[in-house]
Amino acid sequence: MDVLIQLVLNGILLGSMYAIISVGLTLIFGIVRVVNFAHGEFLMVGMYAAYLLAAKFGLHPYAAAVPIVILLFAIGAAVQRFLIQPLLGAEEHIQIFATVGLSTALVNLALLVFGADLYSIPPSAAQGSVMVGGFSLVKGQLVMFVCALALVAGLHLFMQSTALGRAIRATAQNRNAALLMGVKVDQIYVIAFGIGAGCVGLAAALVMPLYPVTPTIGTYFVLTAFVVVVLGGMRSMYGAFFGAMIIGLVDSLSGYYIAPDLKEVVYFALFLAILIFKPTGLFGLGRGTE
Amino acid sequence: MKLFARAAIAAAMLAAVPLAATQPAAAQGTVKFGALYPFSGTLALLGDESFRGFELAVEERNAAGGLNGQKIEFIKGDAVDPNQAVGEARRLTSVDKVSAIFGTYSSSLSLAATQVTELANIPYFELGAISDPITERGFKYVFRTNATARDFANRMVDSIIEAIAPALNTKPGDLKIGIIHEDSLYGQTVSGYQKARAKEKGLNVVEVLPYSAKSVDLTPVILRLKSAGADVVLQTSYQNDTVLFFRQMKDQGYKPKAVMGAGGGYSTRDTMQAVGAENMEGALDVDFTQYNTNPKAAPGITEFAAKYKAKYGIDPRSGHSLANYMGAKVFFDAIASAKSTDADKVRAAVLAVDIPVGQTATGWGAKFSEQGQNTRAVPFLMQWQGGNLVTVFPTDAAVAKMKTGIGAN
Amino acid sequence: MSLQDSSPASTAGKSSPAASGGPSLLARLANPRVYCALLALSLLVIIPAWSGSTFVIHVFVTICVFGALATAWNILGGYAGQLSLGHTVFYGIGGYTAALLLDSFGLSPWIGMIGGAALAALVSVGIGYPCFRLRGPFFSLATIAFLEVVRLLAIHFNGLTGGSAGLVVPLQIGWPWMIFREKINYLYIAFGLLLLSLAVSYAIRNSRLGYALTAVRERDSAAQAAGININGVKLWAIAISAALTATVGTFHAMYMTFLEPATLFSLATAIEIAMFALIGGLGTVAGPLLGTVLVVPLAELARGWLGASANGLHGFVYGTVLVVITLTLPGGLVGTFGPFVTRLIDRLPGGGRTRPETVAPAAKLVGGTVGEPVLKATNLVKRFGGLVATDNVSLTLKRGEILGVIGPNGAGKTTVFAQLSGFLAPNAGTVELLGQDGKWHQPKTPDAFARLGIGRTFQIVQPFGKLTVLENIMIGAFLRHRSVDDARAVALRVARTVGLYELKDVEAGTLPIGGLKRLEVARTLATEPTILLLDEVMAGQSQSDTLKMVELVRAIRDSGVSVIAIEHNMQAIMSLSDRIVVIDSGKVIAEGAPETVVRERRVIEAYLGEDFVHAQGL
Repeated sequence: MDVLIQLVLNGILLGSMYAIISVGLTLIFGIVRVVNFAHGEFLMVGMYAAYLLAAKFGLHPYAAAVPIVILLFAIGAAVQRFLIQPLLGAEEHIQIFATVGLSTALVNLALLVFGADLYSIPPSAAQGSVMVGGFSLVKGQLVMFVCALALVAGLHLFMQSTALGRAIRATAQNRNAALLMGVKVDQIYVIAFGIGAGCVGLAAALVMPLYPVTPTIGTYFVLTAFVVVVLGGMRSMYGAFFGAMIIGLVDSLSGYYIAPDLKEVVYFALFLAILIFKPTGLFGLGRGTE
Repeated sequence: MKLFARAAIAAAMLAAVPLAATQPAAAQGTVKFGALYPFSGTLALLGDESFRGFELAVEERNAAGGLNGQKIEFIKGDAVDPNQAVGEARRLTSVDKVSAIFGTYSSSLSLAATQVTELANIPYFELGAISDPITERGFKYVFRTNATARDFANRMVDSIIEAIAPALNTKPGDLKIGIIHEDSLYGQTVSGYQKARAKEKGLNVVEVLPYSAKSVDLTPVILRLKSAGADVVLQTSYQNDTVLFFRQMKDQGYKPKAVMGAGGGYSTRDTMQAVGAENMEGALDVDFTQYNTNPKAAPGITEFAAKYKAKYGIDPRSGHSLANYMGAKVFFDAIASAKSTDADKVRAAVLAVDIPVGQTATGWGAKFSEQGQNTRAVPFLMQWQGGNLVTVFPTDAAVAKMKTGIGAN
Repeated sequence: MSLQDSSPASTAGKSSPAASGGPSLLARLANPRVYCALLALSLLVIIPAWSGSTFVIHVFVTICVFGALATAWNILGGYAGQLSLGHTVFYGIGGYTAALLLDSFGLSPWIGMIGGAALAALVSVGIGYPCFRLRGPFFSLATIAFLEVVRLLAIHFNGLTGGSAGLVVPLQIGWPWMIFREKINYLYIAFGLLLLSLAVSYAIRNSRLGYALTAVRERDSAAQAAGININGVKLWAIAISAALTATVGTFHAMYMTFLEPATLFSLATAIEIAMFALIGGLGTVAGPLLGTVLVVPLAELARGWLGASANGLHGFVYGTVLVVITLTLPGGLVGTFGPFVTRLIDRLPGGGRTRPETVAPAAKLVGGTVGEPVLKATNLVKRFGGLVATDNVSLTLKRGEILGVIGPNGAGKTTVFAQLSGFLAPNAGTVELLGQDGKWHQPKTPDAFARLGIGRTFQIVQPFGKLTVLENIMIGAFLRHRSVDDARAVALRVARTVGLYELKDVEAGTLPIGGLKRLEVARTLATEPTILLLDEVMAGQSQSDTLKMVELVRAIRDSGVSVIAIEHNMQAIMSLSDRIVVIDSGKVIAEGAPETVVRERRVIEAYLGEDFVHAQGL
């Protein structure tokens, strides 16, 4: 029983990490409708930025989150403006390949600049764990949990109550109608992509204390992030959050009760089942076959 | 006009293929070798580290006059998957017309590339890949200096019996063993031999848990080991998963009596720094010879480390460079004594090599089987002590005594 | 990009579709599109054979292998528009099947190749069947998930597959074992596989299946109305594509002589294959090969030239070039340069010929007795949430009559039509059709309705916008005619009938609304229906065109076809119809001869409101 509770706690905390990484992808996927295969590489770039800020200026990643978010916002906006936007008129598939090319280029750029070495920041308090009622909780993951909740709530508030947020939602629901209503759709896309990338920047700052960074670190997370996004119904922030919790739990429980090397099989199978039988996502918040 | 420009670019790209095939032939007075390693992709770190050992061996040899008066020139080949390994092996053998290829660090690349060189009758010198089948396929021109996966696994299991059980004052059969490994070629191969050896020696294996090296959470693995009460954990892992395992083992409050790695992530300084010296304290590691080894048992090891630092500005990142350095030197000597790069003469010379244990920079000897496998290569048992990886077994090579326990207490 | 033009428009140049009993082999070889294509292809063997370098041979083997893989991928990804990013599942199945049969039973990889292809086709149907309902990126993500699951299972069950430790193919030399000392033999096999893929791809492109796939990709509802079983044709596409991919996989595994899940079920390779096809031009015959010819040498050169200077530099350059190519050539090589190169090629001796028209097969006469019922709808009910869109509607259509359906906007006429043609399943009630066999049928799917002789047009026109007018009509004609030539001839005849002959080579998307309405009728007529459902085909037509349309519908009826027409043009429908049914709020409120129906009080109420009726003192 103790093991089960510990596994559930771990699963929820792990889920909060998946959530914070996936929220940005949900935004990009749901609003710009681009499958961004370079999402993991955005995370990687953010983590290298966190490493450099820690190594050169002694800045703890949590403090470095602000400049990293700004950097990633700029990168995301630039990608949308100069890479995705020129392709909006072309077949939708082509955008996928543009992001694949970008992903290849970024991984190798990191290899070129940093080599394949593994960089980690000096051990900090975030790595430790606290014992609560006999169960161990990793501090860095607790921070992620709080931040993920705050991020989802903050984004929700932003989308609901600001003019920009409403314009973004209108664009996401019907691009043409939004255009007719005088929304500058191209600008909205640039901003939305930027915000999505900025969220990944925050994720990078929070992940850095727990995982060392290598050029290929993005590939560790990107497929899981896609699973989370689809599970959550593609465009709902809350959906992504709960989807991430479920994947975290599946990861933790199947890793223990089935086999650690088959846990991906379990959640990919879950992913396929959701896509096929309930394409609107686990909570009916999206529209998978549209 | 734009259209024409695009067409011209496309045409130029196509035309460039035969160009690449007609690079200038070898200069006079040099002997050309290929250096085939994964320089990019996920294996790049240790691929590059391995290559550095080869590069140092070449420089040393050239400074001493080369091979029978000919300077050694090498051409790099970069491969990240078997198709590229085949391609690069083809390029090196046919375009660059190298006399032999050295490599490879990665076993799957080696398995693919050696099939090419074997059919082309060109010697392939393996200096670092550990998959046993590389030298079990009856190839004539594939030779390997380093120890294999089976040697690693046997050393690890035997160390439980010979070193760990006595230090803990228990019978080996009373220890509960957990085997965990990443599920790529490296982990699956080594753990397979571990299981076989443990069974053969009558040890009690309570868990065998494979996991993906890209896993971002190993707590299920740790909790399974904890529930099973494993006393000794044998892990075969790369860097990221080693770091993760140690961090999460601490988070979950799991303290086995001993943890032993099969090289890979256990041997690099990066891992120790990421985990923290105090958490890595006492971790055992079976691997190629590392640098805190008694120089009496491994003559030349100190000089190698100094040369490495002089050239690259840092201490060696792992023992892979040393193993490649030692292997390249052995084969250079053999080629020199063959006085030819003809494959059959090289084979005869390699089979005639006879270096006793303790006479090379890795402490290994060299004596090759008909299959081309060095029968005098043994991995050493090492331990992280005070932030350094020190050799603790065999006794001749040891610089410290083995301790028990894991992590700072 | 039009169906007819895009295959000849390819840079390598392809001959015009083969005509059964058409020009002789020699005559076809004299066509510059044919001989240029053959010459260009033969360079893939001549260059490496001439160079003699085994590295150049390796590069060309790689080109042939990836060219064949991309060509096979294109059958699903290009023709059918289903962007699979997990195609290495089939490649891996091909490799592993052959290697395991060789390993366990000593069977030659040539046998394993066939076994692998069969297994891959089977698995592909298992993947395609549930996944084809997914659109756009979701289908792609599902294929990725399948690939990951297969790869992880191949690693996990290492007793069967050898796991990550891999399988080493024994070096038995010779043709039976597909392993050679003379490297040029590998090239012969790879080239042969490439030719096979191209031939299959070309044949599909110029077949009924090819047209059906394009129709499904462009608009699945219109494709269904033309009698195409949309899941059926997609399953054919994935099965053929998978079998070809597996065949190449077998060869490539034997070529590498080493199999491991990470390589054979590689996501990176799967994406690369799709990328080659995209760079060359999706949905064209030559595009995937051209993309491969451009990118593979580029990657090899980048590694050769830049690999030594700095780790990662060549990968960075490669990735950047891919981005630049997608930005500058969004239509792919064929889409960008195709028309230009084709024009050049056609200027060569023997070029620019047009194909003679074949005589259309005689239109089948509709048999049966005039006046007998051919369609019976009984107590149809259709609800959307709380709204009852069709409320207990029954109607019967007799052979050879024109039944007009009128009613105010939103009365539910089109909903009834959708149930009569199988696009909507009623919540209650039945639709029965009298088949050619004289028996009554209750079909379930739109394509089954179409095969039983129902032809329908859409109120909101559904053209295949990127195809020409003629090709649009041909897609209808394929329902009754297997051969391309017959379909084309029938389509030409229909085009003349509806007055679209002059516009036959125009891209359908550019037609004005009147033309599109006529195209709807033409495509439907080409299916040679026995019952024609016309949904507001007069709308948007000029006065004279309306008259022509009325004449046309009469002529169709006179050929024995029964017609149901929804129409707002009262004048037209009153003069045309033998009988009128009036629908309001989902109910049939009146039925009878035109002149009696218009006098019914309820009908006038429905159209003009009760107040009007009272004011008129009716």
